[in-house]
Amino acid sequence: MSDRPREPFVVVGQSVRKVDGVGLVKGNPKFVADTDLSGALHVRILGSPHAHARILRMDVSAAEQIPGVVLILTHENTPPTRHTTAGQGYPEPSPYDARMFDTKVRFVGDRVAAVAAETEEAADEALRAIHVTYEELPAVLSIDDARAEGAPVIHDEKDSTGIYEAGRNIVADVDIDVGDVERGFAESDVVVETTCETQYAQHAPIETHVVHSYLDSDDRLVLRTSTQVPFHVRRIVAQTLGIPIRRIRVIKPRVGGGFGAKQEVLLEDIAGWITLKTGRPAFLSLSRAEEFVAARTRHPMRVRVKLGAKRDGVLHSIEMEATSNTGAYGAHGLTVLANTGSKTLPLYNKAQNARFYGQAVYTNLPVPGAYRGYGATQGYFPLETAMDELAERLGLDPVELRRRNHIRVGETSPIFEKLGEGREGVSQTVKSCELERCIAIGAERIGWREKRGTRRREGAWVHGVGMSIMMQGSGIPQIDMAAATIKMNEDGSFNLLVGATDIGTGSDTILAQIAAEVLGVPASRMIVTSSDTDLTPFDVGAYASSTTYVSGMAVQRAAEKVREQILSVAVPVLKAPAEGLRLVDEHVVGPGGARVSLAQVCQRAMYSSDQFQIAATASCVPSESPPPFLANFAEVAVDVETGVVKVVHYVAAVDCGVAINPLMAEGQMEGAIVNGIGYALSEEMLLSSTGRVRNPSLFDYKIPGALDVPDLDVILVGSYEPTGPMGAKSVGEIGINGPIPTIANAIYDAVGIRLRKTPFAPERVLAALQGEKVRKGER
Amino acid sequence: MMSLELTINGERRALAAHPGDTLLDVLRREGYVGVKKGCGSGDCGACTVLLNGRAVNACLVLAARAEGASILTIEGLADGDRLHPIQEAFLDEGAVQCGYCTPGMVLSAYDLLSRNATPSEGEIREAISGNLCRCTGYVKQIRAIQTAAERMRSERDE
Amino acid sequence: MSETRTLDEAPTDAPLVSARGEGNNRREEREGDVEDVGLHHIQLIVRPSTASEAWRLRTSDPGATRFLGGGIDVVLYTPETVTTLIDLSRVARVGVSEDRRGLSIGAGTTLSELLEAREAGSWVGGFLADVLRCVASPLQRNVATVGGAAARAHPWSDVILAMLVLDAEVEVYDGVARSVPAAEFYAARAQDVAPLITAVRLPARPASARGAFEKFGRTGFDVGLLNCACVANVVRGLCGGARVAVGGTPGLARRLSDVEGFLEAKRLSRETIAEAAMLAARIVDARDDRRASETYRRTLTGVGIRRCLTQLAGIEGEGAL
Repeated sequence: MSDRPREPFVVVGQSVRKVDGVGLVKGNPKFVADTDLSGALHVRILGSPHAHARILRMDVSAAEQIPGVVLILTHENTPPTRHTTAGQGYPEPSPYDARMFDTKVRFVGDRVAAVAAETEEAADEALRAIHVTYEELPAVLSIDDARAEGAPVIHDEKDSTGIYEAGRNIVADVDIDVGDVERGFAESDVVVETTCETQYAQHAPIETHVVHSYLDSDDRLVLRTSTQVPFHVRRIVAQTLGIPIRRIRVIKPRVGGGFGAKQEVLLEDIAGWITLKTGRPAFLSLSRAEEFVAARTRHPMRVRVKLGAKRDGVLHSIEMEATSNTGAYGAHGLTVLANTGSKTLPLYNKAQNARFYGQAVYTNLPVPGAYRGYGATQGYFPLETAMDELAERLGLDPVELRRRNHIRVGETSPIFEKLGEGREGVSQTVKSCELERCIAIGAERIGWREKRGTRRREGAWVHGVGMSIMMQGSGIPQIDMAAATIKMNEDGSFNLLVGATDIGTGSDTILAQIAAEVLGVPASRMIVTSSDTDLTPFDVGAYASSTTYVSGMAVQRAAEKVREQILSVAVPVLKAPAEGLRLVDEHVVGPGGARVSLAQVCQRAMYSSDQFQIAATASCVPSESPPPFLANFAEVAVDVETGVVKVVHYVAAVDCGVAINPLMAEGQMEGAIVNGIGYALSEEMLLSSTGRVRNPSLFDYKIPGALDVPDLDVILVGSYEPTGPMGAKSVGEIGINGPIPTIANAIYDAVGIRLRKTPFAPERVLAALQGEKVRKGER
Repeated sequence: MMSLELTINGERRALAAHPGDTLLDVLRREGYVGVKKGCGSGDCGACTVLLNGRAVNACLVLAARAEGASILTIEGLADGDRLHPIQEAFLDEGAVQCGYCTPGMVLSAYDLLSRNATPSEGEIREAISGNLCRCTGYVKQIRAIQTAAERMRSERDE
Repeated sequence: MSETRTLDEAPTDAPLVSARGEGNNRREEREGDVEDVGLHHIQLIVRPSTASEAWRLRTSDPGATRFLGGGIDVVLYTPETVTTLIDLSRVARVGVSEDRRGLSIGAGTTLSELLEAREAGSWVGGFLADVLRCVASPLQRNVATVGGAAARAHPWSDVILAMLVLDAEVEVYDGVARSVPAAEFYAARAQDVAPLITAVRLPARPASARGAFEKFGRTGFDVGLLNCACVANVVRGLCGGARVAVGGTPGLARRLSDVEGFLEAKRLSRETIAEAAMLAARIVDARDDRRASETYRRTLTGVGIRRCLTQLAGIEGEGAL
């Protein structure tokens, strides 16, 4: 076992340019749709007009007559295999409750049929010519209605599995506890309780879901798809279509944003089936409206948090109850629910009593799935609001209250073991945590002491500051697996083959940096091929903040093996033992300065002497999930006449371990924060009383633009995670959890109102302000 | 079908187009796939190109209205291997993540800097206000445009 | 809730059947409507060289023709019955000219061209420029024409709001060339075929004319939940010839003549302004829609008018971040 690398690093820690950057900035054809689509069938999907209905009769005869129409898919001519669309490791912790096309529709926009035609126009004409007779069923459009006595059963089919209690529309039920929370509250000096609700939101990746399928010259089905989970796509498509895995190749080109929406096997089954049946390539991309309605969304949740603390401010009892609306299908229902507790409660490990319980419930509404933060985002809202309220009750500075309670190095939490992603978790001890420094740096940068409680007024604007802290995880311990293969070329470059999925996150680049660090070369010597199920070894994909920590470790191990091979070749050349040799600056360097270039080493191994291919594959299954930590501070201004909330200054001090590429780590944080600000202030999918999305467009679903970004300070506070590659943890998700609670707490500081329902849209804020005035007797 | 004559990236082209085609349809069909489709309704700016020197949403321009026009797509910005300073700045400042909004963003910046060599931060934000990005939070893109402006000024001064 | 019923056809609010498949639900008439068939039904684009030729073509088959200006609204909203577009690029004048009577803006002038025109930039102390800078994004301003904005009359239109408070005259051609005051033009919307707009005139204002504009959106790049504007001559603190308008109510901008009358010859004190604002909030024709409630729109009207008038009066203390 080699020495774990430590600073000073040569390549790691440098903000090198993205390895795929030049092509992206030139607009080179790199995305799924950027290929020659001539000859491809164009596919359009017919969506249900009803929230809940049985399909009694389908008549596609008129549609089939339309010139250019080649194939129409319905439940009558497609495999009935129940599966989950959730891109998770097998066996997936989501119910098998979906069919490619079902005999029932369960939300407005649910799949009814698909048409493959020579042109888009012909496909659209055919959609309108398909006659469907529905038996409309009563629909449930809220969690409470869904669980009520006598509520219509959304999944009443016999062949679905993995549903906790289908008869009551309950997908998942979680209940874990430590100690005795009720006794804990009784023993506490102060108890606060708050319930918060979050809304339907959508990832809105600028590239919608898209897939291009075709048969290669060996009649294998190739799926070029904008996905976060190529290997799960391959497996689930094989299952759904009833063909062996070996007949499928999944290729992920560049992806125009995922954020969790593409951790799903959404379109590949339809495209794949069409290609298999017709022998023709097929191209299917979602319109922006379909992306809102029929892709995936955030889980709306109602979460109650109760905190009991002693007079000294140390938490004694924590209870979190989460009810999650998982929409018409249960993909990610259990795991997002569990994550709401598993990524929040361990942060405050001082509490000896803790309970997390809740349910994920079906409704006849658009389908939530994975979304950056994955439940933690919804959980931190009430948790950090309650902490703020607790601080006030105790007469403590909110910052001080966090200091007295957060987990530290060397500590553990019983929650780690009790609650994982949908099943028991894994016990672990925190080995790196600079949260205390994050808090101190952030407080200083925002001007916490000077600004808190001052309510500075500027015309109609009142200013306030708020804060919150959080943790996330790095991969799913003992479940996620990543692998990497490195092979050497005779010019001293290397092919790095990773299953790891770069969806814009820059994983190709940071994995190249990790390998380059071990091999003593610049990152540019690594030629990265990623996410091709024929060429690259397995990786679960881009989710759970796993790529740097898990895939990175696989890369580091593979590089270490390759280094050993390189040294073994160099030994007879330099006539020195391997222990004395180092890889530096594209050379093997021996004691006394004797050196041989890597190119020479590989040429020797390839052509001259004891030839062999210098190459190695290594895997990583992490045994723990070291959390990144984050302290957020925000200054907001509230316009007390209109309820408009503006974020003036946002500070995020994050400990992600060693930042492999600092600029990219900042970029991950900045993007997550701005997305979170949209989630907090302006984003909301509006639903009609019939379950229809009223604003499925970027015109009326408002995501932040360049005019909306506050003064945003991301500060990377370094730490060293001994279990992580080069000391790294992760940074992909945690940033999005900050804005809601931080802004809510800042609004309280500014105008004294507690908002418990997102988004904090102006009308809602104003109503709360006016309600507060009435309550206080002001006019 | 009609024949559309226009100049694309300096090259005179005659393209076949349907009267109902948008400029986005025509450009992508002709292989200018750097012009991206994000919404089809002018809300995201991923399809931004320059039309007679002005940044526009190609999805909102009827192809027929571009008859005789001069179009600049992202493919026309670099000079062979030599990237434009805006492209270099985007790479150096870490302003490219998934890259899908990048061509449109770069061209909006190009439009701005061609008419305003010393833009304020507010003017930069306004220039890219119609280009949505979900990955970056705009911070490094704004900085990249500032860097590009500085570099272009010193190039001119040299 | 346990009844079932059978339906043979998808009901009228069927989603997502569309050629372009875009979530084009901006139509105010049918909320959430995404029935957008793209433009594959367009077969012909003609390019007349005179207004009379354009008008003849338009009226020869009204259901099957549409004018094509900048084209944004054509791309987004043209129904399937339309097969022929009448391209106005040879007919619509591009450019801004100023004479003693005022500003003349050719209908073919883009919003960006107008914003950058020297004469327009300083019109009423920069008021017109302030409004234009808040319209959509630069990308759309580079294509959208003044004639198109005036013709399409989106209910959230900031351009028409500005036209109303600037006493604009809409120059039209409908067989005969004439000039219609904007307030009249937008009040009478009953024609079968809207006339061809050839220019917008802004009459000259005295040097004492000032204007202020407020737009309340959800994000920076947005249509307004409500917009409002005031233009008046303020001489020695006295208000004269006030024009007050509110738009996006969610209806198209309308002048509030009662408020205008109230302000006439009054000193713009805080009290007067507050009273005018309250009056505006009370009489504005506000309604609920998916973006905002009627109550909130009334609140915004009061706040917006108060802020506009305060700006006109030059009083310190209010204002944006």
